[in-house]
Parts: sequence; C-alpha cells; structure tokens
Amino acid sequence: MSRSSLVQLSNVTFTYPGADRPVLKDINLTIYEGEFTAIIGGNGSGKSTLCKTFNGLIPQFYVGDFEGEVILDTMKTSDHSVAQLSRNVGYVYQDFENQLVRPTVMDDVSFVPLNYGLADYKERGEWALNITGLSALRNEFIWQLSGGQMHMLALAGALAMKPKLLIIDEPIAQLDPNHAKQVYDILKKLNEELGITIIVIEHHTEFIANYCKEVILMDQGELVWKKDVREALSQVVELVQRNIYPPQVTQAAYALLEKGHEDRILPIQMNEAITHFSPYSQRTETLPPFTTTSMAGKRELIRFHQMSLEYRTLKKERKQVLSNVNTSFYQDDLIALVGNNGAGKSSLLKLIAGIVKPSDGHVVVLGKETRKASPEVLSEAVSYIYQSPEEMFIDDSIRKDIEYYLRVRKIPDYELIVDKLLADFNLVDIQHQDGRLLSGGQQRRASLAIGAAMNPAIILLDEPTANLDVATKQQVIQMLGKLQNHVQTVIVATHDMQLVAEWANRIIVMNSGSILADGNRYDIFGDEDVMRKAGLVPPQILQLSRALCLAPPCFTIDEFTSRLDVVGAEGVQLELCKGYA
Amino acid sequence: MNYVKDMREKLNIEYVKSELIKTAYGGKETFLASLHPRTLIIWYLFFGIVPWFIHNKIVLSCFLVLMVVLTIMARVSPLIIVILCAGLLGEIGFLLLVSLVFGGGLASLLPMFWLTVKLAVIALASIAVFTSMDPERFSDALLSFGVPGQASFSVSFGYRILPTLVEEFQRVFLSYRLRGKAPETHGIFYWRTASYYLKLLVLSFYPLILNSAKRSRTTVEALETKGFSYSFTNAEVKKMKLAHLTYTYKDPLFLIGTVAYISFAFWLGTFIS
Repeated sequence: MSRSSLVQLSNVTFTYPGADRPVLKDINLTIYEGEFTAIIGGNGSGKSTLCKTFNGLIPQFYVGDFEGEVILDTMKTSDHSVAQLSRNVGYVYQDFENQLVRPTVMDDVSFVPLNYGLADYKERGEWALNITGLSALRNEFIWQLSGGQMHMLALAGALAMKPKLLIIDEPIAQLDPNHAKQVYDILKKLNEELGITIIVIEHHTEFIANYCKEVILMDQGELVWKKDVREALSQVVELVQRNIYPPQVTQAAYALLEKGHEDRILPIQMNEAITHFSPYSQRTETLPPFTTTSMAGKRELIRFHQMSLEYRTLKKERKQVLSNVNTSFYQDDLIALVGNNGAGKSSLLKLIAGIVKPSDGHVVVLGKETRKASPEVLSEAVSYIYQSPEEMFIDDSIRKDIEYYLRVRKIPDYELIVDKLLADFNLVDIQHQDGRLLSGGQQRRASLAIGAAMNPAIILLDEPTANLDVATKQQVIQMLGKLQNHVQTVIVATHDMQLVAEWANRIIVMNSGSILADGNRYDIFGDEDVMRKAGLVPPQILQLSRALCLAPPCFTIDEFTSRLDVVGAEGVQLELCKGYA
Repeated sequence: MNYVKDMREKLNIEYVKSELIKTAYGGKETFLASLHPRTLIIWYLFFGIVPWFIHNKIVLSCFLVLMVVLTIMARVSPLIIVILCAGLLGEIGFLLLVSLVFGGGLASLLPMFWLTVKLAVIALASIAVFTSMDPERFSDALLSFGVPGQASFSVSFGYRILPTLVEEFQRVFLSYRLRGKAPETHGIFYWRTASYYLKLLVLSFYPLILNSAKRSRTTVEALETKGFSYSFTNAEVKKMKLAHLTYTYKDPLFLIGTVAYISFAFWLGTFIS
C-alpha cells in the first residue's frame, strides 16, 4: 500500500540550552496520512517535545540546539513560520484551558479560520461545535464551562480548520470513563470519516488498544520503535520495564503464557481476551470466605445530616449541587468518592473542609458544625489537597511550603517533622526548589507532604492520580498507604477505578448531587445497575473475570492469574457467563 | 455583629467577580451600548480631557448633570458607583485633612468641592462609556482606529483572563487560609482579623503572578498555532473582524446632540457670569 507521508523527521536532535543531554536524540520518523497513532513513554521521555517539532514550535519557539530536518506535507518546517505551518495542524495542549483565548465559545472556535481569513469562519466554527457536541453552548462564556467542556472546546478550536493533522496531548486526563469514551469516539470519527491524521500522547493503554492503529514508544529522548498497536502492546516486558502498563487483559495473558511463547501476539481488547481465556480452567481450591468490615462500633468523624448545597449562577438562577445528603464517615475509612464529572464529588470534599457551607442541613466534622467554623479552625483536623498542586505552592521552595502550617502555629522543633516528611515522600533532593518548576509527579508528592504536615485527622484528596503516568500513579498509591499511618480517615474523589479497586475499603457512588450507593468493592462493582447509572467502568480485569464467571470476581491481575490454571489442566473448565457470550 | 456578617456576605470575592464580569460583558441593551464603539471613543476623548481645562462652575455643573443622566441610562453596577463615591469622598476628606494640618481652614472646602465635581464628570464619563462597550467592541474599535492588532487583542484578552485570574486568586487565597492561622480574637474594631486578611490578600498575589507567568507560555504558543500572527499579514482579516460594527442613525444623533448640549452649556456659562 502506498501512503503519502505527512510528517517526515530525519536525524532530528534537540537540546535545551544548558541541558547536558538532548531531549530528542537522532529521531527518524514518518507519519503517514490517515494514521491514528499513540505516543507512549514515561514523564520526561520527550513525547510533547517530539510533537512540537511537527508544526515548527521547535525550533522556532524554543531556543536550543536543533539538528536534522522536519518536513510537514511538502514544507520544510525551518523555512516557514509556525502560523503558516499550523494551517494544516491542530494542536490541543495538555493545559488546554490556557489555549482558549477568546471570551465566548463561538468566538473561540471560529478564531483560527478567522485568522486565516476564511470567509466561512462562522460556518466552520458551527461545524466544529456540532462535531464536538457543544452547539448548545455557543453563546456561553469560557469561564462558565466545566473542565471537560473546555477540553472539548480546545479540540473544536483545533478542528475548525479541518486540519490534515491533529495532535492531542493527553485527551482524557481529567475525564470520567464515559466522557473519555466520547472523546475517543469523536477522534475515531474524524480519523475514519474525514481522513484526519491523529496523534495522541496517551497513558491509558486500554484506550490505545481500542482506538489507535499504531504506537510510538519514546524513552529518554529516543524513539525506540513504531509498531502496529497489537504488536506494540504485546511487548509486555519491554513496556513494563519502562513503567508503561499494557491493558490489564494483556498483562494477565502474558503472565499465563507458557515458557518459550513470550513473543506471542496477545489479546489487547476485552472481546479478544474473553476468547483467549475461554480454554483455560479454574483452579479448584476454595478461597477464604470474604468478610465485610462492619461499620458498627467505629468512631464517627464526619456527619452529613439532610445536607443540601446550591449556588446562584451569573444569571441569578439557582443551581442544585447536592441534595439531601445523609451519611457518616468513620475512623479507618478509606473512602473513594466516585461518579461522573459534575456529580458533586468535589463539592462534598469542600464542604468537609469548610470551604463552602451547606445551604441547608448540617455538616459536622469532629463535633464541630462547619457552618460556624472558619477554614482555619477546621484545618487543624482536616487537610484538603487540591486537584492541581500548583495552587498549593504559596512559597518559593517546597520545604517552606511544607513547613508553612507548622511555622505559623509556632510548633516547637518543626524542622524535625519537616525533615521526616521530606524523607517519607522522597523529596529531600528537591526540597529547595520552587514547586511550580517540578515535574507532575514531584508536584503531586509535594502536595501530599504539605497535606501530611498538617497532621490532620482527616485528609481529603481531589483527583490525586489525574495527569500522572502509571509509574508515578503507583508511587502516589504507595504514598496514600503512608498517609494512612498519619491520619484517621482518607477520602479521595477520583475517576481512577484501578485506584478504587485496589485501595479503597469503602466506595461512595455519587450521581447528580446525591449518594447513589455506598459499600465495599464487591457491593459496588457487583451492582451493574449502579455502575451503569453512575457512568462507571470497572477495571478491565474485573470485567474479564465476570465475563468468565469467576466467583467471587478478581480485582487485581495477580488475583486473576493465581485463579487460572493452564489450558487442559484439571479443574473447572471456564465458561462464558450468560449475557456475555 | 450581624451587620458585619451581612457586609462580609455582600462583599465577598465572588460578588466582586460577578459584578466585574457583568460590567464588562453584561450584553446591555441600553442606548449607549447600541452606538458604534468609535462614536463612544470620540465622545469620550472630549469628556475625558476637556473638563480639566474648564473652570466655569455653570459649565461644569451642566456637564455633571449630563454625566449623571448618562450613567443612569447606562445602568451601571452599584458596586462601581459605591467605589467611585468612596473614592471621591475619600479624596475630599484627605485634602481637607491636609489643608487643616497646614492651617488652611474650612474655607478650602469650596475649591475642593469644584475639583471633585471635575473629577466626578471625568469618572462618570469613563464609567458610562466603558460599561456600555464590552471589551470586544472596545478592542475592535481600537483596531479600526489603526492600533496594531497585538495591542487591540491584548485588551480583549486581558478581560478574557480576568475571571480566570480571580478564580485562581481565590484558590491561592484559600491555600493560605487552609494552612494559616487566623487570630484568636478579632481585636478592637476587628483590626486583628482585618490585618490578617489584608496581609493574605497581598501575599496571594505572588503565587498568582508566578503561576500566570508559567501558564502564559502555553497561551503564547497556542496563539501562534492558531494563526494569530498570520492574520496581520492579510488586510481582509481585519475587514472581516470589523464587519460586525455598523453605524446607525443613532451615532450622528448622539454626537450632534452632545455638541448642541455643550454649546448650550458654554452659552449659559458665559451668559450668567
């Protein structure tokens, strides 16, 4: 098949000024028209830098040593301005909210075609809004949109030119599973129906497996390979060595491979996995009975009593955020608050921290009515960790940030406490750096240490694993384990079902402002009605074990692989469950 | 006590933010808002500068009456009016204090009153014009006067990020509060509490500025990928951007009316004196 190349990199090397090693090393790469390609690699492997060479941002906007040649379509990127090159390239940034430069949705989406002097700029804007499902919001102001809507708008703005190439840096980092699927469905449509070439930088290998056609692996500035998606994700050892985790079904299939067959192509999607595992048999040994932890007899820390929250919009309309919430949180609870974007998870956390006060009913935290207590007073017992760590950095080094709470309270010998925290959270080497200049994972660890320094009884975390690669995510989960020793209860609002399944001992499902379900992982993940209604997608391994009728279902890959025996061994032959066949 | 609480609820950052946005983008259907922004700017150039050189009390009074009427017509937010009045009264009070200290006596009150009237005319003219012209129209008007595209765009963008900045400011401020320690007692006239909040307000600006500086990197890059600089190379683009601005019969009517009123005021001023 002869395909025409869209982007061609020859021997591209790029070094930031002052850096001792290049951020891109001798890269040769061809992107063909019509590709849907994922770029994977750890934080700092050069993924974004690579993408910025495609439209000339590197070397034109970033000073540094640039060698080699990039050809976009027929243009050499060094001979044309970024604006000229961008006519055919749409770029959606990871921090997409900073690329929305106009006040209203309609203005922003038609901004690019207007700049290029296309008379039909309004129609193009409408078209892009229509594709991304934002048409109803065309007259809204940017700052009234939710994070997910802003992301869609950034995408729409990049689309309005009907570009040949669309580059998206982490398209679903902050989205719930349903919205994430919507985004990828749109991308798929653009790719298949309009022939737009799409490049995504992506950590979620399950989405890569379901949507992308090819995968590029980057490691420390080098392009390791570019492979067909199936072949790429089957390289389990190579990927895991680089802290990239293929889909859970692929990992499980790899773990159960017989020796000598490690180079096999493995299942990467759910339906393939079901077929793949059907010939296996289940080990017969009985499992220890599962006992539910009882709430009775534990100390109550937080109580919500007939609590409602509403606020007024700019147009003076009342908007109900939470209605009639009744629940309590107890000592030793490790709570995951789940639910789709806008379900009220963050608001619930803010109510506990006393940042917002209930419109009706009561919130009582450790015997204090939050309505009567200022955030300063509540912070003696509650620490709230923001979704974006940057907004927690109020001093010029993370050491000073961590000690701020202790210093203003004149705690004796606070330096010792800070030293211990820095060691605990692996921050000793970077303690004198400004938090804003750290990498995403370091920022997250620093924000956890800031929270722990407050020595709280209750710690609240808003999306602690968003925007992190899998390796950093694992670190954060470990850190959560460490936090447990410091505090009495941890409450996490998250979309990350893997975190929920592996970490939480109590799961609260929120749906449009009220609590839909409350229970342990067996109750919640076992209740398909609840899962569907709240728009939750269980971890893949759980879906697989259910489809294969394993009872009780498995929550981790280790659980799964330890329950299966080789093909043809004695034991219970696996059968497809009814409804899954 | 209740009064203080009431004030606090009224004067929170949320209220200020929503008033600012409403003032800027209110989408008003007032008479002034329906005028071409160029008309408003020409009009404002007169009333922003000329009153400084007028000493005739009758003329100034006539101007003030016009401004009050226009301000009412423009449906200006009460917050802005309150800030303006506080500023003007503060100004008189401060000057009076200075003059008393230097032995001026109450006789200095009268000339200060006329200075304040002058300031009020100019201030009200600004308010009436800028609340009637959203930043987009203002920015386009500048563009139509031949101001470079980058400059006129920065006006529009400055307003666009204002709400974002206010929100971020709120969160940084909250960061200080969530880790800070409020004074245990309010102190006489709440001075302890007030000084605690004032200090935090000032401190919160530093992280805000640093964060914004970091984020503007993306914005500058994104503008380039959106073909922003390309738009200056093409005269057609400017025409398209300004196509939505149109003159109506109201524009000459408004300017002629104003000229007639000014002539009347000057005539009255010379006639009476």
